[in-house]
Amino acid sequence: MPLHTLNATPNQSAFAQCLRMLGPQDALLLLGDGVYGAIKDTEAAKALQNSGAELYILEPDARASGLEKRLAECFKPLDYDGFVELSERFPSQQAWY
Amino acid sequence: MTQTKKVLLLTRHAPYGGSLARAAVDAALAAAAFEQAPSLLFMGDAVLQLVSDQDASAVGTRSHGRVLESLPLYDIDQVFVDQTALLEYGLTSHDLAIDVILLDDPAMRQMLADHDHILSF
Amino acid sequence: MLLPDTAFDPEGFLRDINQWSPDVAEQIAASENIQLEAAHWEILYLLRDYYAQFDSSPAMRALVKYSAQKLGKDKGTSLYLLKLFPGSPAKLGSKLAGLPKPDNCL
Repeated sequence: MPLHTLNATPNQSAFAQCLRMLGPQDALLLLGDGVYGAIKDTEAAKALQNSGAELYILEPDARASGLEKRLAECFKPLDYDGFVELSERFPSQQAWY
Repeated sequence: MTQTKKVLLLTRHAPYGGSLARAAVDAALAAAAFEQAPSLLFMGDAVLQLVSDQDASAVGTRSHGRVLESLPLYDIDQVFVDQTALLEYGLTSHDLAIDVILLDDPAMRQMLADHDHILSF
Repeated sequence: MLLPDTAFDPEGFLRDINQWSPDVAEQIAASENIQLEAAHWEILYLLRDYYAQFDSSPAMRALVKYSAQKLGKDKGTSLYLLKLFPGSPAKLGSKLAGLPKPDNCL
């Protein structure tokens, strides 16, 4: 069960591929352009939620987007320290970009 | 006297993932400095460039939406936006940092047809 | 207290906008052989405001228009700005105000 990091918008192929590989035992961290997948009431956010994975979002990148207040609540904001702690919990990591 | 060519600047990428969004606005402002203000069309992920309240200080770059707010000072007053893409992201024109004109696909196709040159970013 | 040379890039622009102070402006002005008067300071603070608002340094066209909006038509002209900051007002003004070099300064 890897930790997935997703750095692509819902319109990029990396997003769809990540979604296909995302299992309910996995965790997903949205960062960079990945944060746009967490906007409330969008197809993208619903699809990520339906994966059953633990969902996180990198807070500095969410703040840069200007959409922090529009994100679905199921994505837990993490700072860089939180990212490190999350990485330590998972044996492997897969970066989608 | 030669007639001024109509230039369309088409931008399609999100603001921070790469350098294309920044290159697009730099090109628009540079062209405007030479009184060649292009038409600006934000398509697909580029609608995300326009979101208000961006704060990129934590990621060490300039806030793209704030730079776009300076467009009127360069006499670029009309900004066109892909309405379908905005809708896909659950956004409306009220979520954007500047006033825009929303276009559907036929209207965007018409824009591409109406210009002599297209700069694509 | 003067900033060391390392605080500036090879063209003399301040590397860190937060290090700017009126003393730093005087230091840059001395190296550009400019005597800063009240009229200069008005534009330097205007440039600081512009940067705070738009997260970028203005090119000439935007500086002229912004000056006209904020300071009135008399001061919002190329001529007025050229008199204060000879050569390239946007570039020189940005340098004195501690802003990055304008991207669109051609």
